[in-house]
Amino acid sequence: MSIMEYNGGSVIAMVGKGCVAIGSDLRLGNQALTVATNFEKVFPVTDRIYLGMSGLATDVATLREQFRFRVNMYQIKEERDIEPEAFAHLVSSTLYERRFGPYFIEPVIGGLWKTQGGEYKPYIAAADLIGCLNFAKDFVVAGTASEKLFGVAEGLWEPDLEPEDLFETISQTLMNGVDRDAYSGWGAIIHIVTPDKVVTRTLKGRMD
Amino acid sequence: MATASTYAPVGFDFSNQVRNQFLQEKGLPLPKATSTGTTIVGCLFKDGIVLGADTRATEGPIVADKNCEKIHYLTDSIRCCGAGTAADTEFTTALISSNMALHELSTGRKPRVVTAMTMLKQMLFRYQGQVGAALVLGGVDATGPHLFTIAPHGSTDKLPYVTMGSGSLAAMAVFESGWKAGMTREEALSLVTDAICAGIFNDLGSGSNVDACVITAGHTDMLRNFVRPNERVAKEQRYLFRRGTTAWKKESVRDLIVSEEVRPIGGAGAEAMDTS
Amino acid sequence: MATDGGAYSYSLTVFSPSGKLVQIEHALAAVAGGTTSLGIKASNGIVIATEKKTSSILIDDSMLDKVCVICPNIGIVYSGMGPDFRVLVAKARKSAQAYWKIYGEYPPTRVLTQEIATVMQQATQSGGVRPYGVSLLVAGWDVNRGPSLYQVDPSGSYWAWKASAIGKNMVNAKTFLEKRYNDDISLEDAIHTALLTLKEGFEGQMTEKTIEIGVVTVPTPTEIDAERMAGPNDRPKPTFRKLSEEEVRDYLAL
Repeated sequence: MSIMEYNGGSVIAMVGKGCVAIGSDLRLGNQALTVATNFEKVFPVTDRIYLGMSGLATDVATLREQFRFRVNMYQIKEERDIEPEAFAHLVSSTLYERRFGPYFIEPVIGGLWKTQGGEYKPYIAAADLIGCLNFAKDFVVAGTASEKLFGVAEGLWEPDLEPEDLFETISQTLMNGVDRDAYSGWGAIIHIVTPDKVVTRTLKGRMD
Repeated sequence: MATASTYAPVGFDFSNQVRNQFLQEKGLPLPKATSTGTTIVGCLFKDGIVLGADTRATEGPIVADKNCEKIHYLTDSIRCCGAGTAADTEFTTALISSNMALHELSTGRKPRVVTAMTMLKQMLFRYQGQVGAALVLGGVDATGPHLFTIAPHGSTDKLPYVTMGSGSLAAMAVFESGWKAGMTREEALSLVTDAICAGIFNDLGSGSNVDACVITAGHTDMLRNFVRPNERVAKEQRYLFRRGTTAWKKESVRDLIVSEEVRPIGGAGAEAMDTS
Repeated sequence: MATDGGAYSYSLTVFSPSGKLVQIEHALAAVAGGTTSLGIKASNGIVIATEKKTSSILIDDSMLDKVCVICPNIGIVYSGMGPDFRVLVAKARKSAQAYWKIYGEYPPTRVLTQEIATVMQQATQSGGVRPYGVSLLVAGWDVNRGPSLYQVDPSGSYWAWKASAIGKNMVNAKTFLEKRYNDDISLEDAIHTALLTLKEGFEGQMTEKTIEIGVVTVPTPTEIDAERMAGPNDRPKPTFRKLSEEEVRDYLAL
């Protein structure tokens, strides 16, 4: 078994019409033993950027704090919020710095950026454990259920989903994907980021 | 003097090495990074260079990215295709691109392709193949068009037509049968497209679209998704879920619109604050 | 033996009883002896300009660069000691590239200015070094603050200006700029004002060989959005550039 499967867990992000959704399952395991069912893997970065991390739980916690520090320092120094694209590059370069002794996480980023006209555009990205960015136009996945999530998302996702429809699509993708993964599940959490609000919902899922 | 900059380049950080070594010895193998199985090619023609690449990135047997960009920017007139460990090709080319920019600023001249080639091979040799980047480097400078391959250990070749990556054999077969000296831009572009397509359709590590880049003296044309032979047809049905399908237990809403009410304290006759 | 600072002028890191670091005063004197440079912020851009003076006609002045590109959106000009400037330019360029490698974009003008200012401040507090003998004008454009013009002094302090001058004729030049400046001056007018200001204290002939000009231009909102959505192979168009000798000649002819 790989280190990436040690604690289990999966993350997904999807693009909608002027919105993004990002979510994770809630399981924290010690190999096959489930030790917690409230382990969120998606964290707010700014008002309109969320970062999800799957992989080794200790590294998820370490990097969450490290990115919080880096983003706060950025905010103080530059007197502005970091943009999704700059944040994605920050994540990527932070991971690549440890190319030869990596953190065992795969990040997923979802956020909105503001155009000059004041309109908000969705942005998602994912990276591998050494920071190779993947800018997708539809959806990105990571974690122990990633193979299943790829398949389900490929079938269910369609362009220009309104926030409420995107919620159903991402939720169904995540729930049905993790149901076929022994290492993910035990409920899920979804954040839908829109220009004027972020809706967070805890989903009811199989507890086995 | 201590370095002032927060943004000083630091190089690699090995501090997780001991822990990771321990985990590996415990029988937990190190996970695989994204690799670009890849077909990348380059070809010389009458007025310059054509570079080509497929757009598939894989993680083992999984297609991780269906339309990634493998032709990397080095300078306006030098580009570099990358195969191998995706993060390594990405960051190695970014580093050399950055150094080429500094070089251009300090010399005040357009940098040469050999300069990029030398920087790349010295860096890759230094890491003894641990930085897994196999590159096709091409560009036009004051001394004319140049085309190189750079292997992960730092060895280089200078040839009129080159291929790299897991689809290199398929692509080379096309070049060997079709390449001729002094081709026109159209001929070269079509040969490169055929070579990449050979990789896309015959090599499992390569797929999706053809990216091409035509570099001539004074002009570079980046032809992103030049050919899309694997367009997905529109779904015949929609798989929308009725709103309310998903059962959820808890909802919280974070309002990002800050509304505030300004309530003036004191009437119009109130004494103005002394701001002198 | 220093005459004015007495014992306090030797060690840079020791205050004189009056609360001054005398070496910094000396550095400012070096700046005040340097050729005049100036910068003007216009409604649609910025101009920075300087006079290029050589001690002998035998010097090949085509090799001299006083207005320097730091990264595609920022340029700087100096008054004072040329060699010190060169070192700062190299450091600033490295810092801009390091920032690019982390965030995938070039630093905003203020952040880059802060970086340079930090380097200059450290030279006022470290042992065995002297302060940099230059004042800088940093001109740049970024998406958040638009065009901005900063001045950095040997002490490491920096301010944002609408228009400023440094070097030999700075007092006269600033007075001249104060009279000429208004908030809605166009870039073209600003370039002419810059040349007129330099002319005030100019010794000898103003030609394309003895004047250097750099300009910041502001991209349109459509261009900004298009560049942000473009792929990594389409680099954003530089917003700072040096004017060629031909362009300078054309401005001088007007």
